[in-house]
Amino acid sequence: MNTAELRAVFDASLDRLAGSDDSRAARRQAMAAFARHGFPTRRDEDWKYTDLKPILTGRFDPLPGPASEDRRQVDSDRLSSLELTPDAPQLLFADGRRLANEDSHALPPGVEISDQHTAWQRIRSIQTDGQFREYPLSAVNTAFSPDCTLIRVGANVDVSQPLHLIYLGGTAANSTAQSRLVIDLGANSRLCVVQHFAAHIGGWTNSVTQASQEPGSKLTLYRLQEHAEEHFHTELLDVRLARDAAARLGYVDLGGRLVRNDLRVHLAEPGASCDITGVFLAARGQHVDNHTRIDHIAPHTTSDEAFRGIVGERGRGVFNGKVVVHAGANGTDARQSSDNLLLSGRGEVDTKPELEIYTDDVKCAHGATVGELDAEQLFYLRSRGMDEETARGLLVFAFANDLLRRIELPELRRRVVTAVAGHLPDHEHWGGLL
Amino acid sequence: MDETPLLQIDNLHAAVEDRTILNGVNLDVRPGTVHAIMGPNGSGKSTLAQVLAGRDTYAVTGGSVRYRGMDLLDMEPEERAREGLFLAFQYPVEIPGVNNAYLLKAALNAQRASNGREQVDAFEFMKLIKDKMELMRISKDFLNRSVNEGFSGGEKKRNEILQMLVLEPTLAVLDETDSGLDVDALKVVATGINSLRHPERAAVLVTHYERLLELVVPDYVHVLSEGRIVKSGDQKLARTLDERGYDWLRDGTGGP
Repeated sequence: MNTAELRAVFDASLDRLAGSDDSRAARRQAMAAFARHGFPTRRDEDWKYTDLKPILTGRFDPLPGPASEDRRQVDSDRLSSLELTPDAPQLLFADGRRLANEDSHALPPGVEISDQHTAWQRIRSIQTDGQFREYPLSAVNTAFSPDCTLIRVGANVDVSQPLHLIYLGGTAANSTAQSRLVIDLGANSRLCVVQHFAAHIGGWTNSVTQASQEPGSKLTLYRLQEHAEEHFHTELLDVRLARDAAARLGYVDLGGRLVRNDLRVHLAEPGASCDITGVFLAARGQHVDNHTRIDHIAPHTTSDEAFRGIVGERGRGVFNGKVVVHAGANGTDARQSSDNLLLSGRGEVDTKPELEIYTDDVKCAHGATVGELDAEQLFYLRSRGMDEETARGLLVFAFANDLLRRIELPELRRRVVTAVAGHLPDHEHWGGLL
Repeated sequence: MDETPLLQIDNLHAAVEDRTILNGVNLDVRPGTVHAIMGPNGSGKSTLAQVLAGRDTYAVTGGSVRYRGMDLLDMEPEERAREGLFLAFQYPVEIPGVNNAYLLKAALNAQRASNGREQVDAFEFMKLIKDKMELMRISKDFLNRSVNEGFSGGEKKRNEILQMLVLEPTLAVLDETDSGLDVDALKVVATGINSLRHPERAAVLVTHYERLLELVVPDYVHVLSEGRIVKSGDQKLARTLDERGYDWLRDGTGGP
């Protein structure tokens, strides 16, 4: 797949893809921008450590698969293995398309999903050439995404139940699942979303999520990626916060072959804050790249970002964390850390904090570590009778769990903790402790 | 009283990075006894404690240690623990992400497995630790907190003693457990240590100060200086050291 091929497929399929004038116009603008920029390459500084070649040579079909699949066609055992609780409100996505919902998983009160017409109108109003230039894959998503899901929460609505979004990937191993999500939170509203990526076969997920938060709103977004190990995953999450709005974002990456997560946070008005945690495991040839950029645009904005990677045999972990403190953003408080456990001589970690500060009155702290297990901790556990192998496994788990325990949804925390444990070697020795 | 020593340290030498720290330690510890090891900073007290527990940053360069008839130096740290040797750390390690309940249960079950006993279940475990936690004045929320994370100095030391009470070691080695404790915490810790005194068990208290020994009265007091035991006596020796310091031992003036 190259830029010219994509363009040709696009031109031939636009009529089928576009359901409304706004959709057509948005897709055209995106494709035109993409044709100018093309796929990023390793010559781009932001893509220095991540090569998209395996995706470009993977013969993935950019067009969505056959329509009309609904929930009943998805294997029920698979669905129940993914659910958080039997009655949790759910939205299901396959081939990037949202499936018809069922009453048993009805939306939580206060959450509204717009029709396609409105959704694409919204997309058109927020998309910019700048975003396509910085993140060309979002242009591919816009051009080919089968539909757009716009979730709205009205002003002062406090949605008590979390909304579980399950992304089942594509129906074939060469499918591309390009889901598109927009979340609009009204002033002083509150919403918790779990984005759960769980393709069970190969394919390419190329997701774009944009959240926009009115003053005083609070978004909690957990994003759990448990794809099959042959699956490719790229995504952009872009969050824009108004005055005193707060975002809590939690990433967990356990599966996938090549995973590239881009996060953009715009702290656009005074008092806006974000708290970001990320845990990933990379072994057996997995490549996980977390690329974040936080813009402190207004005064008195805070960000706290902590990523932890566990990199094993032939695994590769990349972290690039950019924090930009704009001129006039006085009283900014920005903290960032990237800590990595390198468990094998045949793994690799590249971690790069980047700070750009254009004002004086700021507090910024950042740190990056790549290391092995702590010898003191190991000895302490062994001196209590734990054998070395068990103690090592437990310490690796503890390294991740130190962040995972911050997950506020108990059912999600349990699931994630169990899943992380299940991916670690020798967990059968200490897993019983959980 | 059984006359076979539980622990028999014979001419023990240990070094870290070519620097000799233990320079021929000899010590017999019989069941039912409490030994105090005192000495100035840098005399090798903590090294001795760590070597007994199996810390590999210290290289044993000579001598032998027998524990319950076994070659202690040939055992992994976890084997020593399962055979009933317990080290209370001078600086207990923080382990964020592992809670105290996991650690206590894992330690107890490792010991039980090695003794061919059944694993403890959640109900039995809670029953077993409830009184011990009360004795150590440790509150319930402690179990769900990460090991030693954010604990005060006193809490860390009480946690060490709680672990000791749960594991009921045959030989407890307490490394400066009294340091940094206020009077009340010292009393709690001493109560914990005394509650384990038993004709078949023994304890080695490594300490810099005499005040713990007023509350946990030792049968023997030894002075370690420059890596060897230079003087042994009973509790009176500890009082003398408290009054006169250690210098008289080193310059050889005024010593008997």
